[in-house]
Amino acid sequence: MTASAFLWALLLAPLAGGLACLACRSARAVLRATVLGVLAAALAAGICIWMTRASGSIAAARGWLYLDALSAIHLLVMMTVFTTSSLYMHGYFQPEILDGSLSLKVARRFSALWYGALAAMTLVLLSNNIGIMWAGLEATTLVTAFLICIHRSSESVEAMWKYLIICSVGVAFAFMGTLLAAAAANGLHLPASEALLWTRLREHAGEFDPVLMKAAFVFLLVGYGTKAGLAPMHSWLPDAHSQAPAPVSAIFSGFMLNAALYCVMRYVPLVEEASGQAGWSLRLLLLFGLVSMVTAAAFIVFQHDLKRLLAYSSVEHLGIIAVGLGLGGAGTFAALLHALNHALCKPLSFFAAGRLGQMYGTHDVRTMAGALRAAPVWGKALFGGLLVLIGAAPFAVFLSEFLIVRAAASSGSYWTMGLFLAAAGIVFVGVLQRAISIAWGDPVMQPHAEQAGAVDKTLVLVSLGVLLVLGLWIPGPLWHMLDDAARIVRGAP
Amino acid sequence: MLVLIVTNLLLLGFSQLKSCIRTVACQGIALGVLSLLVNEDGFTVWSVVMSGVVIGLKGVIFPRLLLGALRETNARHEVEPYIGHMASTLAGFAALAASAWLCSRLPAFPGRVTPLVAPVAFFMVFVGLFVIVSRKKAISQILGYLVMENGMYVFGVVILREMPLLVDLAVLLDAFAAVLVMGVAVYHINRAFDHMDVDQLDTLKG
Repeated sequence: MTASAFLWALLLAPLAGGLACLACRSARAVLRATVLGVLAAALAAGICIWMTRASGSIAAARGWLYLDALSAIHLLVMMTVFTTSSLYMHGYFQPEILDGSLSLKVARRFSALWYGALAAMTLVLLSNNIGIMWAGLEATTLVTAFLICIHRSSESVEAMWKYLIICSVGVAFAFMGTLLAAAAANGLHLPASEALLWTRLREHAGEFDPVLMKAAFVFLLVGYGTKAGLAPMHSWLPDAHSQAPAPVSAIFSGFMLNAALYCVMRYVPLVEEASGQAGWSLRLLLLFGLVSMVTAAAFIVFQHDLKRLLAYSSVEHLGIIAVGLGLGGAGTFAALLHALNHALCKPLSFFAAGRLGQMYGTHDVRTMAGALRAAPVWGKALFGGLLVLIGAAPFAVFLSEFLIVRAAASSGSYWTMGLFLAAAGIVFVGVLQRAISIAWGDPVMQPHAEQAGAVDKTLVLVSLGVLLVLGLWIPGPLWHMLDDAARIVRGAP
Repeated sequence: MLVLIVTNLLLLGFSQLKSCIRTVACQGIALGVLSLLVNEDGFTVWSVVMSGVVIGLKGVIFPRLLLGALRETNARHEVEPYIGHMASTLAGFAALAASAWLCSRLPAFPGRVTPLVAPVAFFMVFVGLFVIVSRKKAISQILGYLVMENGMYVFGVVILREMPLLVDLAVLLDAFAAVLVMGVAVYHINRAFDHMDVDQLDTLKG
C-alpha cells in the first residue's frame, strides 16, 4: 500500500511542481521552486529505491507501475542527474536574469518543460506496460525539443528541428518494434489488460514466435538506438547537445540517452528467451556499440567546439555501454556501472563547459586556452571531468571500462577488445591534448571574471569526490543493486 | 484498404501542399472507419468512441493545424521535392511491391484479418519515410511522419485488436502532441529563417 503510494507520488510530483512554477511571480522564484521540486522528487525516488532493495520489486496500479532493480538503478542515475543539473541551473541562469534576457515568461516555460521532461522520463522507468513505456519516451522528445531553443537563434532552431524529426521518426520505428513484439506474443492469448505488461511477457517469453521477435528487436534497436545516440543514427546528437543550454545538455547526455538504452535492455531478455539464448540480440548490440565507439573517436580527433566534443564523447560512452551489454556475463554489470559513472561525470563536464562558454563567449577550445588560471573552479571542473571521461586511472570510469575489457578478454572476443582499446585510446589522446591546452595553454583572450558560488564549488567537489571513491570502492548496497539489475538483463530468474 | 493505398500514391503525386494535407486527412478518416469495421464483436460503445476520436483527430484537427501553419508561413505552397512527382509515384509502386515481398517472408500474423493488412501497413511506413527524406518543405516532413504513424496504427488496430485502450489513447495523445509541437517548430523556423525549406538548414556540421 505505502509502496504504491510512493510510486504514485514519484510520478505526480513533477506535475505538481510544474503547476507551482506557474504561480511564481519572478524568474528567480521560478528557478528556486524548480530546485525544491526536483529535490522533493529525488527524495520520493530515494524511498522507492530503498523499498525495492528490501523486497526485490514494488508495483502499483494493478501492475502497470513497476519498479525492480533494473529500473531502480536507472532511477538513481536519473535523480542524480536531475538534482545536480537543477542545482547548477540556478547559478547558470543568474547572469541572464540580471541582464533581463531570461524573463518571467521564458523562465516559466523552461521550468514547465524541465518538469515535463522529468515526468516523461519517470514514466518510462516506472511503466511496466511496454506501450506506455514507448509513449513516455516519445513524450521526452516532444517535451525537450523546445528546451534546446530557449536561447533563440537560427542555429538552435535548426538543431531543434533536426532533433524533433530524427528522434520522432526513430522512436516511431521503436513503436513498430513494440507492435511486432506484441504480435509475437499474440499466440499466448493474454487478456487485453495484461497483453503488453513486461512482467507477463517475461514469464512467457519462451513461447513467443522467434522470427517475429527478432524482427521486432531490429526495429526496437534502430528506433531506441536513434534516441540513445548510437552511430550511425547519432546525427541529431552533436547539434542538439551543442545548441542547448548547459543544464539541458547535461540531462540529455546524462540520462535521456540512457533512458532509451534502458528500453532496449528491457527487451534483451525477452528476445534471448524467445530465440533460445543464442546471443543473437547481444551480437547486434555489440556491433552497434563498436560502430559508435569508432565513429565517435574519428569525430573527436578533429573537433574544436567543446560542447560538440562532449556530445561525441557521449556517443562513445553509450557505445561502451552497448558493448558491455553485448558481451553479456560480467560485461552487463560493467555496462550498468559505466552508465552510472558516465551520468556522474558527463553533466559535470557540461556544467563547466557552459560556464566557461559564458565567460569566453564561445565554445571554441582554442579560445579557451589557459582557462585554469582564469577560472579556478570551472577550469578545474572541466579538466577533472575530461580526465575522468577518457578513463584516467583511479577514477570510476576507468574501473568500469577495465571491467568491460576484462569481460571481453575472458569471453575470448579479442576483436572486440582490440577495437575497444583502439577507439578508447584515440579518444584518450585526442581529448587529453585538448584538455591540456584548455588548462595550461597561452591565453588568447581575457574572459569575463568567474563567478562561482558555494553551491557550484560543492557540486564540483562532491561530483569529483564520488567519482574517485567509486573508482576505488563500490558500496555494498549499490553493488547488490547493480548485480540484481545485471541479472534481470541477462535473463536469470 | 484500397483507399489507404490510393491516398498514399496521390500524396506522392500532388504538387500542392494543400492537396497533400487533404489527402492525408482522407487517409485519417479511412483509418477511423477501418478500425470500426475490423472490430468483430460489433459496435461496442468504446469502439465507436475510439474511431470517432481517430476520425476527429486525424481527419479534422491535424489537417486544420497544418493548414493553419501553412497560412501563417508565407512560403510558396508547393511541395518542391528532390525527386520528381512521376519518379515518386513509381517509387511508391516499388515500395508496395517491396512491402508485399517483406510480408511474405514474415510468418503469418495471427488473427482473422485479410492478408492485405500487413503489406499495406508496411507500405504506409515506407511512403512516410520516403516523403520525409525527399521533400524540402518542413510541412511535408510532418505529413510524412503522419503517414508513418497511420501505417503503424493500421498495423496495431488490425493485428492487435487486444491492445489496451489506455495504450491506444497514449499513442494518439503522443501523435497529437507531435503534430502540435512540429507545427509550432515550423512557425519558429519560419520566423528565424523567413522560409521553411529544410535543405537550407545546414549551418551545423561535423
